[in-house]
Amino acid sequence: MAGRLLRGCVRAAGLCPRRAFGEAAGLRDMGFSQEQAQRLLGVESRLSPQRREAAVAQLLLLGLNAEAILGLLERRPELLRMPTERLQERAGKLRGLGLDGGQLQRALIRCPELFTLPRKRMAAAVRLLRERCLFTAEQLREVLWTCPNVLLEEPHQLHHHFQYVYFRMGVQQKEMVKARLFRMPFAELRNRHIFLERRGLYQTPCKGQTQTNNPKLKDIIQLSEKDFLANVAHSTPEEFEVFKKLLAREEEEKEEEEEEEENR
Amino acid sequence: KKWAATAPRIPCTRLALHHFDVNYSLQLKDLWPSVRASLLCEQKYGALLNNFSADDYVTQELELMNATDFVSEGSRKAQQGAAAEEVRREESRPQEVPGKVRTVMQTETQAEMSPPLRASISSNIKCYTYPRGDITRFRPARQDSLGILDYYLMDAASLLPVLALNVQRGDLVLDLCAAPGGKTLALLQTGLCGHLAANDVSISRTKRLYSILNSYIPKNIRETVSVTSYDGRDWKQLEGGTFHKVLVDVPCTTDRHAVMEEENNIFHKRRTKERQMLPMLQLQLLMAGILATKPGGKVVYSTCSLSSLQNECVVERAVDIAETQFNISVHVEDLSHFRMLFQDTFSFFSDCRLGELVLPHLTANFGPMYFCKLHRV
Ligand SMILES: C[S@@+](CC[C@H](N)C(=O)[O-])C[C@H]1O[C@@H](n2cnc3c(N)ncnc32)[C@H](O)[C@@H]1O
Repeated sequence: MAGRLLRGCVRAAGLCPRRAFGEAAGLRDMGFSQEQAQRLLGVESRLSPQRREAAVAQLLLLGLNAEAILGLLERRPELLRMPTERLQERAGKLRGLGLDGGQLQRALIRCPELFTLPRKRMAAAVRLLRERCLFTAEQLREVLWTCPNVLLEEPHQLHHHFQYVYFRMGVQQKEMVKARLFRMPFAELRNRHIFLERRGLYQTPCKGQTQTNNPKLKDIIQLSEKDFLANVAHSTPEEFEVFKKLLAREEEEKEEEEEEEENR
Repeated sequence: KKWAATAPRIPCTRLALHHFDVNYSLQLKDLWPSVRASLLCEQKYGALLNNFSADDYVTQELELMNATDFVSEGSRKAQQGAAAEEVRREESRPQEVPGKVRTVMQTETQAEMSPPLRASISSNIKCYTYPRGDITRFRPARQDSLGILDYYLMDAASLLPVLALNVQRGDLVLDLCAAPGGKTLALLQTGLCGHLAANDVSISRTKRLYSILNSYIPKNIRETVSVTSYDGRDWKQLEGGTFHKVLVDVPCTTDRHAVMEEENNIFHKRRTKERQMLPMLQLQLLMAGILATKPGGKVVYSTCSLSSLQNECVVERAVDIAETQFNISVHVEDLSHFRMLFQDTFSFFSDCRLGELVLPHLTANFGPMYFCKLHRV
């Protein structure tokens, strides 16, 4: 019964059953269960067995386990089509940034785009973080494995994100790293920060001021919206909803105004 | 920018905000952060319908946009409340002779009925607002075929003092600080004023009052309004005890303006003295208002500030001075039913010692508006 069903699926996927059977065996050899192997064969089903196995082997070499690889490929089937040299090259690059073992795995699972991101773009983001934002190598490493998506940000946008937190919120690099700053999209962080600021609960510290009553960046970023409102902003979802709409409109109109001024 | 060289180092809006942080956090306690954020965000408007406009498409248009007339909603609530109360009365008096019930009821209704139901919010004023949390804006006003504008956009809370004044047919009405004229316009919308005197000390602002009258009110009615530019404090020397209803909408710290606009900001260093003298000026204007009222008449005092120094304290002092220096007895009327009737539209402060205060709230960003009604005995 199960066999018939399986063959049915395989046929539906456009594979010759015998071939699929052989491939599944190959994947089982690599540590996938029968069920995992079948799922894996369903991803990019037209791909030749050699390329599939080569790509999977690369991922195994990074230390990812079978379930993680399956999850990754199901989310990002295009990874299977990548030349293995590219996978290797990218993994090497990330290791070069100081990510090792578990950190590298976590970064890749969190953000598979790291494989496909153009090399130039990644280099630009890294340079920006080191040279303009002045994160130490150690801090950079932590940023990368905790918030790998930071590398996907447009450098210009990323710089703005950093400067906003550094100058406007008065937070130092060390605290940014601890708070996992780049996990929250910038727009959301700004919503929360300006909301606090208008409520009188956040002040930009004066130059040289080290002690403030401001809430910790960590609490602004890591709490769910519900907990943030209840425990940090002491407000309600209704108020925050309206606030976000108003702020978005303010920004939009400010931009329009600036454009008009430029055109004049 | 040209004026950069003379601009103060700390912006006036910052000074204002700091001042409010110190004072209002004491006065409003936990509510202050919410009010503060509201003051710093875009305020909400209401569209005061112009009953003199010939176009009748406006109501439809507004209702299609989901806006509702908060005044008629309030009066509907009041009527429902009154009906419910009547039923209750009827039921609690089963032993009464049927024929007699009516007359007894009528006198009782006057004397005993709780304030919400005594107040008739049956006014011709119509003001549309969008529901709570809705940030849609109104389109600018449009002219009808005769060139008269269809509505006036204003802070909807500004109508509450006018509603509280409760103009009755033929009332002689004084608007002591009238310019630019939003409340004057609302007073005219009642269509009930026997005569309306609109005064404002500022000549330039009276010009704006004129222009509003010109754009909204047909000539024949406009001509019944007398616009003057006296110092309101001298009013008593001109005409004492003549008006049924007096509105005293005094100059104040205009809290919303003070935290948002640099221009014409009352927290400018140059205006410190003026700002400190505000409560005194307000008191004098209110006194003049009380003296201009006929015995039995009503005065409504209003500000667009949260400051109890400019609100309750001024009223208390005025009542006191009227009694001791002029031998005039003045009662503060209970307006708590306003809170009940209009709570869907406005957010009211529940701890106001005297009068009512609308607190800005992000979901209903009107106000601040303080109003207090006085009865000259
Ligand atoms: C809050 S505004 C009135 C707004 C107006 N009631 C409305 O609804 O459009 C206060 C007004 O008081 C006027 N004012 C200031 N001092 C005055 C005085 N001594 N006598 C009369 N009016 C005065 C100002 O020129 C200002 O127009």
